Amino acid sequence: MKRRSFLKGTLATGAAAVAVNAGLLVPSTVLAAEWNKTAFKAKATDDALKALFGTSATTDSGDIHLKAPAIAENGAVTPVTVDATSISGVESIAILADKNPTALVCAYNFSGPALGYVSTRIKMGKTMNVIAVAKAGGKLLKAQQQVKVTIGGCGG
Amino acid sequence: MSIKIRMRGKVRGGVAEVKALIKHPMESGLRKNKKTGKNYPAKYIDLVEVKLNGTKAIDAQWSGAVSANPYVAVKLKANKGDTVELVLHDNTGETGSKKLKLK
Repeated sequence: MKRRSFLKGTLATGAAAVAVNAGLLVPSTVLAAEWNKTAFKAKATDDALKALFGTSATTDSGDIHLKAPAIAENGAVTPVTVDATSISGVESIAILADKNPTALVCAYNFSGPALGYVSTRIKMGKTMNVIAVAKAGGKLLKAQQQVKVTIGGCGG
Repeated sequence: MSIKIRMRGKVRGGVAEVKALIKHPMESGLRKNKKTGKNYPAKYIDLVEVKLNGTKAIDAQWSGAVSANPYVAVKLKANKGDTVELVLHDNTGETGSKKLKLK
């Protein structure tokens, strides 16, 4: 047992040393983007969109493919895929869950070689709509789908 | 401690799909500890960045509503041999990053 914990200890310090050498712990890798507090603290979908994009006026679009399960057995891990690759010039994609305590789940900005595609897993407290909003050419395009949640994702 | 990341990337037809699994509790700060009646303190990844050959291609902001141990997949126009880097930052200041050579 002792040998095991000894090995663990050396491995951990070894990894930390490598990280330092690679410059990972140097503050220069701190990300440039600022966390949009107003958008993420907003309770309603519209308020979150306003804080994020400056407007909450969206157009429904069939070009955004939102893939989410019709029934999520476990709301804590709801797989969601947003595919807006058929739209050219997608600048951002935001994923929202309209009845969560705070609606905005995540927001992505794309530049250069990135394509308008995001796949992730989100938490959902109860049955609600998952909304995907993509910004392209100064317009906000929207797709939404209801997901039935049988077990909530935000604890008891 | 840095955030642990597992990452894979494959190029097909000039488009790379990069998938990552991140080890992180993603505690939203809203969940109650039944024993103490207080909420668990928030600890979630708030900033995410994907770089291709050192240049920023995607930046994302997350909330505590992204699932624990997040999975994320994105697509980039890229070639075999290009380097993709994922950089993470959480609300407590913890960071993590991982580089991957595309196959």
